[in-house]
Amino acid sequence: MRRRDFLKLLTVSTTGAVLFTGCKLGGYPDREFQKQSPVEHPADIPFGRDNWYATAMPAIGGGLGVIVRVFEGRAKKIEGNPDFPLNVGKTGPRAQAIVQELYHPDRIDGPMRRNGNSFESISWSDATAEVAQLVSNASSPVLVTEPISGAIARVAGEFAEQAGARHAVYEPDEYVVLRAAMQRVFGTDRFPALDLPNSGAIVSFGADFLHNWISPVMFSVGYGEFRQGGNGTRGSYYHVGPRLSDSAASADRWYPCSPGSEGHIALAVAYTLVEEGMASEERASEVYGGLSLGDYSPEDVAADTGLSAEQIREIARELGRNAPSVAIAGGSAAAHTNGLFNLCAVFALNYLTESVNTEGGILTNTGSPDPDVIPNKIGGNSFAEWDELIEEMLAGDVDLLMVHKANPVFGMPAASRFQDALDQVSTVVSFSSFMDETTRHADLILPDNTTLEQWGLDVPDPSPGFQLVSIQQPVVEPFVSSRNFGDSLIRISNDAGLSFTWSSMENAVRELGGALGGVGRGLPEEASDPREFFVAMQTQGGWWDEESMTSDAPSGPEDMPSPAEPQFTGDESEYDFYLLPFPTNSYEYGETANLPWLQGLPDPITTAVWTTWVELNPNTADDMGVQLGDIVRIESPNGSIEVPVYVNPAAPPTVAAVPIGQGHTEYTHYAEDRGANPIEIVASQTDSETGALAWAATRVRIEPLNRRERFPRFERQLPFQLEENPIVQVTRDA
Amino acid sequence: MSARWGMVIDLDRCTGCQACVVACQAENNIPINTEDIFHQRRAIEWIRVERYWEGEYPNVKARYIPIPCMHCAQAPCESVCPVYATYQTNQGINMQIYNRCIGTRYCAVNCPWHVRFFNYWEPKWPESLKHQLNPHVSVRSRGVMEKCTFCVQRIVRTEQQAQVDGREVQDGEFTTACAQACPTDAIVFGDLDDPESRVGQMAADTDRGYQLLSGLGTDPAVLYLKKIDPDAPEENGHY
Repeated sequence: MRRRDFLKLLTVSTTGAVLFTGCKLGGYPDREFQKQSPVEHPADIPFGRDNWYATAMPAIGGGLGVIVRVFEGRAKKIEGNPDFPLNVGKTGPRAQAIVQELYHPDRIDGPMRRNGNSFESISWSDATAEVAQLVSNASSPVLVTEPISGAIARVAGEFAEQAGARHAVYEPDEYVVLRAAMQRVFGTDRFPALDLPNSGAIVSFGADFLHNWISPVMFSVGYGEFRQGGNGTRGSYYHVGPRLSDSAASADRWYPCSPGSEGHIALAVAYTLVEEGMASEERASEVYGGLSLGDYSPEDVAADTGLSAEQIREIARELGRNAPSVAIAGGSAAAHTNGLFNLCAVFALNYLTESVNTEGGILTNTGSPDPDVIPNKIGGNSFAEWDELIEEMLAGDVDLLMVHKANPVFGMPAASRFQDALDQVSTVVSFSSFMDETTRHADLILPDNTTLEQWGLDVPDPSPGFQLVSIQQPVVEPFVSSRNFGDSLIRISNDAGLSFTWSSMENAVRELGGALGGVGRGLPEEASDPREFFVAMQTQGGWWDEESMTSDAPSGPEDMPSPAEPQFTGDESEYDFYLLPFPTNSYEYGETANLPWLQGLPDPITTAVWTTWVELNPNTADDMGVQLGDIVRIESPNGSIEVPVYVNPAAPPTVAAVPIGQGHTEYTHYAEDRGANPIEIVASQTDSETGALAWAATRVRIEPLNRRERFPRFERQLPFQLEENPIVQVTRDA
Repeated sequence: MSARWGMVIDLDRCTGCQACVVACQAENNIPINTEDIFHQRRAIEWIRVERYWEGEYPNVKARYIPIPCMHCAQAPCESVCPVYATYQTNQGINMQIYNRCIGTRYCAVNCPWHVRFFNYWEPKWPESLKHQLNPHVSVRSRGVMEKCTFCVQRIVRTEQQAQVDGREVQDGEFTTACAQACPTDAIVFGDLDDPESRVGQMAADTDRGYQLLSGLGTDPAVLYLKKIDPDAPEENGHY
């Protein structure tokens, strides 16, 4: 009987009278209710038991360690691995949602071959045999992957060598610039860790470090201690950037700056540190490669940067007086034609405050305990390098392109012509678990397992300042007929008649992971039985050596880029707004836009869901005669998109901020045909030093289209908000 | 066991990342909030993160606050339920008995914090996503109210295990899904009646504590710690 039918019956029968007679009116029949409670009712007690497995998520937040609750063979819930030093039991929204990737209704459920405009299922043996044949016949194959490390880097490396394939790595361009900046400033291309719990201050120049910049969960764990930790001193946080980002909202003060001016502000901060005796002039000269900081007084740079001289001095005092402190830069600061200069100028400040590889400062990472055995993360190629490959593809010089977990058709601007180039490649093989924009062009699809079904050995980047290797193990059997990417490569190689070092990814992970038992340090401790060591490693989620943290600071930056002004595509008289694309809290650069929990997760600042928007200053919106939900056309010299307006009280008047991640034409029914992709319309300008795409260097104009859509957002969901009453209370007292 | 379960939420730690929101959805079988659901203003989030604006550009601030059920000692939602579907456990948890609820929604109307949600539709998941559902939490049907339970299934299981082991439940032995996920440790869960518990000590030691809408006299079990802001008014301010 349906519940509603029962209720109807209840009203007309004596059954109800009998039931309710049992209830004592005038008092809560607590015992009866407890028995009725669904979680305590015997009929609702499920039979079975939980198993918790430790594994890792190399693609989420720089590489998190997690434990997964598995009940009757099904993954139910993801929690942070409390033993894992990087995130110590904590997670973020994207990690929590990864279980939806596993049971996603639109997963590619087996290998497929193109048949006209559609795909037909084929067997795994046919799929690997066909790719093996293609590899054997190819004269210039290319393997495209996401940044990879550890076991999969070894397997992919060996495969590429055997196949004679070039290995291209696709990574958001801001990280290409960041790696170059790390190399020049700290002598390593690995990302930095931050000792926030012991730090007195942090100044972020555009890096949304608590939500989507390199390792947000690790930084958030540190941030909690930084603000209200045990050392009794509350750290101060200043944010400089052209948008009040999700992280900037948590800052003590946010100072909006002109796009691309971050480097010049950093030089003025350095000037102030010297001027006010917080750093020596000689050291500053060394650090900035002999640059005369005298030309960069706060008064000199204030007019062009959007900050006042006093604000610049205030930032310098926060860093200098509260040292050890941390200065970081990222996000759009890296995505200008002077991106490398911006980042280097900011990160170099840490030398002036003597905060490099010190307690409370910025920590360089030592990487893998043995890079030859377990390689460090292979960083991405720059846009300029991709451009060379695109030219070759257009010329028909690439006859086989194999792509894994990279989606350049979506991630590159239309001006790059990548999509056209892909059509000129004889055969495209995709190893994606989902039909994305690049996979749509594939001739063969060999779907990869999802995160929770994988074997893997990863070197997180950044690591927490010491050597750390995470281990990924399947917590459940593959839900569909998918196969680990590494296993596919090994099988293809075998089918081509070549011998491979390992028989499977599991075999590779066991051998390479087991080798850590011979290092003679770190945890788990060396065991007499290698199997015992490996099981201990699986149980704790990896291997790490906290003693491997280096306290030696590099002597200083080398080959500091010269100060440069940002250049923009689009004449100011014609295009009066700066286009500011930004990665989001829910789906970063679009990688997790296929997960419904994340589509429905409100953006922290706008509370928008399931859509793209452009943020406009209230006065700008008034002048244009637009309000929330009005559709506008954003037009750059390279194209246009149409998006609804969100009137943002914190939006600078000349900045049009648009989130990245939506605008998919593929990528499951949750993401398809939803919103717009601002990267499509950015110009192919690059950072002058690294060749990375300067995706924040395009000017646009905005034209109202005199139509409106309902704007999906969480704000105003409730009958009335609590705004009439004191909700968020604040105090000055730390 | 005797306890009054409660939370301390430190707004100075909260960064609005919404890990708590997704963790709660995963733990408690909350239906997918589709775009249509948002347009209908019927989204269900047992814990939500609200954002408040203050000031004008460029001196503008955005503030985050996570809001779960307050689990009031004198809960206004309880007294209005005609069928006793909403009640308070002897551990201070404001519970909803789904198979008793007849969907009058009086409780939702009477809740000043708007943390009770009505199932206007039968919850739907694609077949494959049903494999993720937590077997220890009921899926609520159309026509009933639902709300934060302080992850009562975790409480019950921990208590049962402690009973089997012949011991008391230890502070920190378990926590709610939101608190477990929270990367900044802004949300702390525990027994407010235990002065030795972490929440008990935080509540006793702080001079930043306040209850949301305390003037209503409902005695919430969620204690907030004020956000620290160098630009706050001389007297304690608010948004």
